[in-house]
Amino acid sequence: MKYIAFAAALAATPAMADQAVSINFAAQIAGKPFSCTETYMGLGAKGTAVKGIDYRLFVSGAALIRADGTAQPIALDQDGKWQLDDLALLDFEDGTGGCATGTAEINTTLRGTVPEGDYVGLGFALAVPFDKNHGDPTLAPAPLNTTAMFWNWQGGYRFVRIDMVPVDKAADGPKGWFLHLGSTQCPAASKTEAPTAPCKNPNHLPVTFAAFDPATNVVVIDPAAVVADADLTVNAPETSPGCMSFPGDADCVSVMGKLGQAYGDLPAGPQQLVTMR
Amino acid sequence: MGRLAIWAGCIGVAGLALATPAPLTAEPYSWPIPAWMPPPPVPADNPMTTQKVDLGRHLFYDARLSADGTVACVSCHVQDRAFTDGREVPVGINGTFGIRNAPGLANAGYVPMLTWANPHMTSLEFQALMPLFGDNPDEMGNNGQEAALFARLAADPYYATAFPDAFPDRPAPDLFTVTRALAAFQRSLISVDSPYDRFKYWGDKDALSDAAKRGEQLFFDHRFECYHCHSGIHFTENLQTSRSAFAETGFHNTGLYNIDGAGAYPANNTGLMELTGDPADMGKFRTPSLRNVALTAPYFHDGSAATLDEVLDHYRQGGRSIATGPHAGHGATSPLRDGMIVGNSATKAEIADIIAFLESLTDTGFLTNPAYADPWPADHPAVADRVLP
Repeated sequence: MKYIAFAAALAATPAMADQAVSINFAAQIAGKPFSCTETYMGLGAKGTAVKGIDYRLFVSGAALIRADGTAQPIALDQDGKWQLDDLALLDFEDGTGGCATGTAEINTTLRGTVPEGDYVGLGFALAVPFDKNHGDPTLAPAPLNTTAMFWNWQGGYRFVRIDMVPVDKAADGPKGWFLHLGSTQCPAASKTEAPTAPCKNPNHLPVTFAAFDPATNVVVIDPAAVVADADLTVNAPETSPGCMSFPGDADCVSVMGKLGQAYGDLPAGPQQLVTMR
Repeated sequence: MGRLAIWAGCIGVAGLALATPAPLTAEPYSWPIPAWMPPPPVPADNPMTTQKVDLGRHLFYDARLSADGTVACVSCHVQDRAFTDGREVPVGINGTFGIRNAPGLANAGYVPMLTWANPHMTSLEFQALMPLFGDNPDEMGNNGQEAALFARLAADPYYATAFPDAFPDRPAPDLFTVTRALAAFQRSLISVDSPYDRFKYWGDKDALSDAAKRGEQLFFDHRFECYHCHSGIHFTENLQTSRSAFAETGFHNTGLYNIDGAGAYPANNTGLMELTGDPADMGKFRTPSLRNVALTAPYFHDGSAATLDEVLDHYRQGGRSIATGPHAGHGATSPLRDGMIVGNSATKAEIADIIAFLESLTDTGFLTNPAYADPWPADHPAVADRVLP
């Protein structure tokens, strides 16, 4: 890992010098870079061809990890747009093609600083932290005012939104196969008060890479392994299209474990959404 | 004349209800309620003004609030149906069917938890985000499209002055101002002038038919237990007013479904359980107000009862039996059915009397009040492509 010292710039203060750090993310579907105009082959149990029409994630709590295992939180640049405190919205769709709910702007990196030091690994979560997930979105600063990530019926935000639509979708069929991860069953949450108890299913997705060099490595997001055993051509009757984390949805049974989440009586498996290269 | 004088007196009450001083240009809002009635609570960040209520009315009827200009709030909430739509479930953008019956909006400001069963929906301001931006199902179709939505509104000459008039400190259409104005208008939708109100609160003994008077006695009788849940000024135990020490809420499983013998409701309509995760909350839905109920068919959270006769038959049997199909089951034997739903031996004549009483809750002034009506000219772009139910 290379270190860029800003000691000269900070000479006036006795504080430890910071180094800039940028974590690059790559969004893929079935191994191909995500694009709103691309068709992806062989998804799910039926090998379905799909288009991707939205692809956004919230990342929070990112930290570099020292050789001794301790974590150094990355102080994200507060850009007033994508990054807020330790939370960032990653946005891989550019509003072209089928991304009708999208915007031209994209954001594919975390940008911040850490104290100068030796770091070997990376950790973060795909999540909106509990204390930010249940505020009033009409008053929230960016990126928590992004309506595309609103999940108001559940009283929070989607942490992961990857919307796929089978190419040969039936005209009267479900509108697509949408993968949404977010907290469910947060009984005390309301607009004006923080919930008094944690959500029953927080559905935070923590990720740790023991060896990760921001200069050369990239975090890779790909839903193909997550949906490998799901049939993307159908939707269980009387449930949301695809898997939206809601309990009792047959479309989620093979999926949530691969997002690292327990689901009903099913145990959590190793998450398969996020890898690195 | 006596009533008019008392109504005028309520202006003073409205002034006290404003938690924050309104801007100098703002006209204080006068609640259309009698003096004995407390107004609904008003959030500190959204004081009522006449300008804001009027802006909210324009937004409510403006189909440009939807992504393709076809769906306005009125597309599912029509004044002469007490702001319901007459359908089992509403229809949003691109012909998308909703999941639950469109609730009436009369006295919405007095409801502490909005929609059928959602503890997150604690204000009209917050609730407005659902039809605007929800995508499961799509209603107005603006998810991810807020910039285009606000640009459409900002381009209209009326809004160019109406937003600054209503929000001098934040004069553009945005997430805050649009939801605040819509909430202010809905908070103004108050219905307390039915024949029953004239009978009960104004001493007009001729305001009710004999059948309705008999029905009132049955409604408030232990044989039928209607009033245990449909209680209070709005005939629902869900109530908050500006004088409430705390909000009151009530959700019940009335035995409409029992799919698995263990009380299951259809998977997409499990009621409060969907949000709380508590199996005991299966099938619990908010007790709706009965004001104007004769006009708000079909009934129940999924619109599955076409008439008041069907509703009362359901309660007479103590639960609904569905013989065939994916929802088959005997609601009366559901282990989750509320203890108040015990069945009864109502005769046809008694049911007719109860319905006469329910019909006396129809407030024709509310249905025709020009302050609640569509403000847009018929050829205006706000309504050019608007679809009504």
